[in-house]
Amino acid sequence: MSTASLRNPWSKPRFLVGITWIYILWSLLPVLLAIRFAFNSGRSRTSLQGWSTKWFFGDNSFSVFGDPTLQDALTHSLVLAGLAMLIATPLGIMLAIGLQRWRGRGSGPANVIALLPLVTPELVFAVGLFLLFTTAMTTIGLGTTAQVIGHVTFSMSFVVVIVRGRLITIGPDVEEAAADLGAPPLAVIWRVLLPLLAPAVAASLLIVFALSIDDFVVSQYLASGADTTTVPMRIYAQARAAPTPALNALATLMLAFTLIALGLAYGVFKFFSRGEKGGSAIEQIASIDSGGGR
Amino acid sequence: MSEGDIRLEGLVKRYGDVLAVDGIDLHVPPGEFFTMLGPSGCGKTTTLRMIAGFERPDEGEILLDGSDMSSTPPHKRRVNTVFQNYALFTHKTVAENVGFGLRYQKISKDETKRRVDAVMEMVQISELGERRTSELSGGQQQRVALARALVLEAPVLLLDEPLGALDARLRIDLQVELKRIQEQLEVTFIYVTHDQDEALTMSDRVAVMKGGRIEQCDVPQKLYEEPNTAFVANFLGSANLLSVEARAAGAGCDVILGNFTLKSESRPEQAGVGTAMIRPEYVKLEPHGSEGENRLPGMVEEVVYMGFHQDVRVRLANGDLIRADVPNDGDSPEYEQGNAVSVHLRAANLRVLDDYPDEAVDEAAESDDIAASTAE
Repeated sequence: MSTASLRNPWSKPRFLVGITWIYILWSLLPVLLAIRFAFNSGRSRTSLQGWSTKWFFGDNSFSVFGDPTLQDALTHSLVLAGLAMLIATPLGIMLAIGLQRWRGRGSGPANVIALLPLVTPELVFAVGLFLLFTTAMTTIGLGTTAQVIGHVTFSMSFVVVIVRGRLITIGPDVEEAAADLGAPPLAVIWRVLLPLLAPAVAASLLIVFALSIDDFVVSQYLASGADTTTVPMRIYAQARAAPTPALNALATLMLAFTLIALGLAYGVFKFFSRGEKGGSAIEQIASIDSGGGR
Repeated sequence: MSEGDIRLEGLVKRYGDVLAVDGIDLHVPPGEFFTMLGPSGCGKTTTLRMIAGFERPDEGEILLDGSDMSSTPPHKRRVNTVFQNYALFTHKTVAENVGFGLRYQKISKDETKRRVDAVMEMVQISELGERRTSELSGGQQQRVALARALVLEAPVLLLDEPLGALDARLRIDLQVELKRIQEQLEVTFIYVTHDQDEALTMSDRVAVMKGGRIEQCDVPQKLYEEPNTAFVANFLGSANLLSVEARAAGAGCDVILGNFTLKSESRPEQAGVGTAMIRPEYVKLEPHGSEGENRLPGMVEEVVYMGFHQDVRVRLANGDLIRADVPNDGDSPEYEQGNAVSVHLRAANLRVLDDYPDEAVDEAAESDDIAASTAE
């Protein structure tokens, strides 16, 4: 069939289409399996034993809503993600605008350094923060505050990338036009720049949320005890001790949160950038998503 | 109405080592349609941006109605700009775009609405008020950008190649309309373009710019008929440039071209070796052997059919090649390669330029492509 497409360039690229579908199925398979076992009516995580939602809502102390440790983990993950989202986004926007306007000496290195967390191995980053909070900045110490700072730090780079992309699309002209029409500097930001940035802001908020709720390494290193355990940490710990399908149920809930966040990001982006030409919305979300899988 | 008097004094702008604007002195009286014309990089846009307040001059003053506004921020200057790429607010409707600036002036809601409606009617976009700007065509977007700037009734409007992104036919329509609006409102227009047709058809006065300086500034007709330099001659229309020696004679001068002596009614700044210029449409071809002043024998080397005229290239007896535009009006003879002709360069149209000869020859070589492209 591949030789056919080589001989006939107008034929459908069946071979490539085939590979694409195999890849999609292969990447979804483990996720689907994990979700399937969340609904297992038995205790096993390896053999299928009928359908049930008892690992979510069951009254036994092993279900997500029955086991207080799993519930605490879920609450803590959501609090961390919410805080990271609300702190990293405004900071990232300011950083992006600053980097965009900064011309001249030092702006080159600053640009690179601001994006460095995107490529720094997360483990190196987490160990670094751990040492910082346990030796130099002991007033903060380990715990929720340290976790929030860690999440904000690494997710801000994503905000910078998203917002700068949008700033480049907007261009400097609209700001000049607004000033030219009599808008004072603050009004230029409030009435022109931020409304035009809205899609990027919405995307940033939800991407930071998704990154934070997914995170394991930074959360783990900066945790101080049981009350700072996140869902990924809980799953990891329990998977080695006494795993039940409740872990799958918890993971399924996490997946749902992440997908809802991404879906909202996409929808909001589409809404704010409606009527604009080009597929920038899709491209931007796609680029974020691939970054999120680090 | 006497508002809208713009005066630039010794304006200089540097970017690092590059002199973008190199000492511009200019006076634009109220209500004038003034054009800055030049190739890219000549400093015309930088000058406009300094008047708007987006760039700060390194030296010099910008006076609006007599008071210096070099240190006034853009949002407090009584000048408005129409941008080349429109710079519309895509998150607002057309009417919101037009009314944007009025929010910062102390005006009632009714007055705001009245002025927005009036200006939208003037630029013929009344029926587009509720549309989003992304749904508009290029020409419509340009009208919105114009309305948005005009509604504030500032005494000076700055236009940065506003028609640059539009197709040819639309450009001509909008040229006529811009001129009509400018005359109706009696606002000072400072217009930046690299398009000689735009400059010639709309402007009261044109400044031809080059290398951050004003090369020549005058009414369009004078610029075209009496350019001072080869650069101006080539940038506006096409020109034949001849290396000559000029000698003062009477009110004009004698032009020595090889073994021939021609008369010119122009008077260069200094006599000596220089450059003479004549427009192709003023070069008259006469039958071989015609006698009289300012006539030279020549031989047709090439004829290019251009539609409404023929571009006839004649090799003069002294070796120079000269272009003549012969109208296709049914009366003029059709020339062929090898025809012997007599070339008449009228004294009134033969002009000795102020350039030093080296400069002029360099520029003639440089601007060959410009002349060629305008001829096509």
